Amino acid sequence: MEIKTVDLTRIYRVGSSTITAVDKVNFEVKGASLIAIVGPSGSGKSTLLNLIGLNDYPTSGKILIDNMDASFLSSGERRKIRLFRVGFVFQTFNLLPVLNALENLELPMALGGKPQKEQREKATRLLEAVGLSNRFYHRPKELSIGEMQRVAIARALANDPEIIIADEPTGELDSKTAKEIIALLFDINRKEKTTVVVATHDEKIVEVADTIYTIQDGKLRLERQCQVG
Amino acid sequence: MRTALCIIGVSLATTFVIAVGATTMRYATVIKEMNVLFSDQVMVVSKDTIVIQAIPITRGSLPESLAEEIKGNIKEADKAVPVLFITSINFEGIIQPVPPNFSIGIPVENWRLIIGPTPLKGGIGHFPTNESSNEVVVGASLADQYNWTVNTEIAVNGYKLNVTGILDTKLALLNRCVVMPLKLAQELYNYPGSVNIIAIKPLPGYSQKNLAETIEKQIAYVNALTEDERNDMIQPILAQVETWNVGLQTIVFIMSLILVMTVNLMSVSERRRDFATLDAMGAPLGYVFRGVVIEASLIGILGGALGVVLGSLASLVLASFYTNIPLAQFFPSILEIVPPLFMLEIFAAIVFVCCAGGVVPAINAMRMRVAEVLRAEY
Repeated sequence: MEIKTVDLTRIYRVGSSTITAVDKVNFEVKGASLIAIVGPSGSGKSTLLNLIGLNDYPTSGKILIDNMDASFLSSGERRKIRLFRVGFVFQTFNLLPVLNALENLELPMALGGKPQKEQREKATRLLEAVGLSNRFYHRPKELSIGEMQRVAIARALANDPEIIIADEPTGELDSKTAKEIIALLFDINRKEKTTVVVATHDEKIVEVADTIYTIQDGKLRLERQCQVG
Repeated sequence: MRTALCIIGVSLATTFVIAVGATTMRYATVIKEMNVLFSDQVMVVSKDTIVIQAIPITRGSLPESLAEEIKGNIKEADKAVPVLFITSINFEGIIQPVPPNFSIGIPVENWRLIIGPTPLKGGIGHFPTNESSNEVVVGASLADQYNWTVNTEIAVNGYKLNVTGILDTKLALLNRCVVMPLKLAQELYNYPGSVNIIAIKPLPGYSQKNLAETIEKQIAYVNALTEDERNDMIQPILAQVETWNVGLQTIVFIMSLILVMTVNLMSVSERRRDFATLDAMGAPLGYVFRGVVIEASLIGILGGALGVVLGSLASLVLASFYTNIPLAQFFPSILEIVPPLFMLEIFAAIVFVCCAGGVVPAINAMRMRVAEVLRAEY
């Protein structure tokens, strides 16, 4: 999945003032790379991720998905892309509290119309892969924050997305757990050949990323780019 | 907890609608039934008597001989039957605001005028044959309440009467009646030579209207009421009761709607992040909408079902309270007091109201966008 932005801008209106959260960003996601977007709080990282994940609409500029202008996509088509081609990982995990770990993983598959038996098999496999084979029937409030983030990452993988967008995935975690989550994202990127775009403050993610962007006041700058094989 | 309280609220609303609706419907049915007893006949009553349908509810007597006079002098009259109709017989010294019992005195050769083709229960017993006998037939509900059977001796106004049959009827009024020979009724209730109704059948070829007009022209001190006139008199009252009933139901349903909508709006608002997450995952709009509306309709289904049960019981309690008929006696006829169709209508209405109450919260839930929700949280 290729994502390209052209002069992407997002302006919020707060009362009478305006905030330019993303300012004429030109950005490209290509191949199975691990991309880090680094910037302080309020710099526009999350807004940019929401835009490229088709969770938000730009004020101006373009988002091209596989060279097709996303502004021409209907709401239903955008939803399908989010459901089948993009996996989201949130800083606050955003697991549904009434569902247990397995059910949280089954939900995106159910939304995608996968048969119940396949949902269960895949959810089981994914939870085992993220090291939670003993937490299948635990609800989010019964899990540690590290476990919750693992479930959230496993959920993002449920429909075999081509890209994972992670918004500060280690922001709520202690350093040891953060390290494990970074390793998990790195593994997914390298083994599954899934593109991972991460907004972060975390130096450890920056260390393993193939491409590093910095963002300040909505302006994105390429800092480092490595060739991915 | 909040959802449980909402279910209780909806069930109380349903209980109220069922209880009030079934009770008023029951009395409206009884009032409508009153005319069945004297269909196709003109009822002559004293001018100062207030009547509901064909039943005089205040005392106002006519000479019994007026029946013969009408039959002899008015050419449109075929048959004129004098009837004494007494409300609220005093059994066990209990008098109720809604008369639970009636007594009808009628000449023995004219039984069918009142009871129509109604048979005696089990085919046992007989109708009184002698004007001066102390024989009576009674309604099944009265018989059940006081454990009367054929040949039971009962006491009314200090007179010993012998039950010779039990009426097997669905009509509420006949079920609560003691039917006796006219002479016996006159003696019992101190109406010597008097009655309070004269039922007159028009000769073939004459209308009730013609007959009533002639009677009123010739006899100044009576009202002659045709079946249509009797219906027209009660119709505005029944219509008004119906309007009040519908008004109350509407208010209760609107209150339920507001309750369900408020609870669901709060519930959706508390789960903004969940709905936004579903949106970010690509859940179809219909999935989120359906989810919230189903939650609201579940409140309606649970509250409605509980309310139908409680409302039906409350209807029986009200019926018992207003008539002093023991509660247990109403249980076998619960489906007559609260007809299943009425239960179904109210249940469907409350479920519909709750579904409608879920629509606005569901639209709110559909509008949750992860970008906005998370931005608002941080």
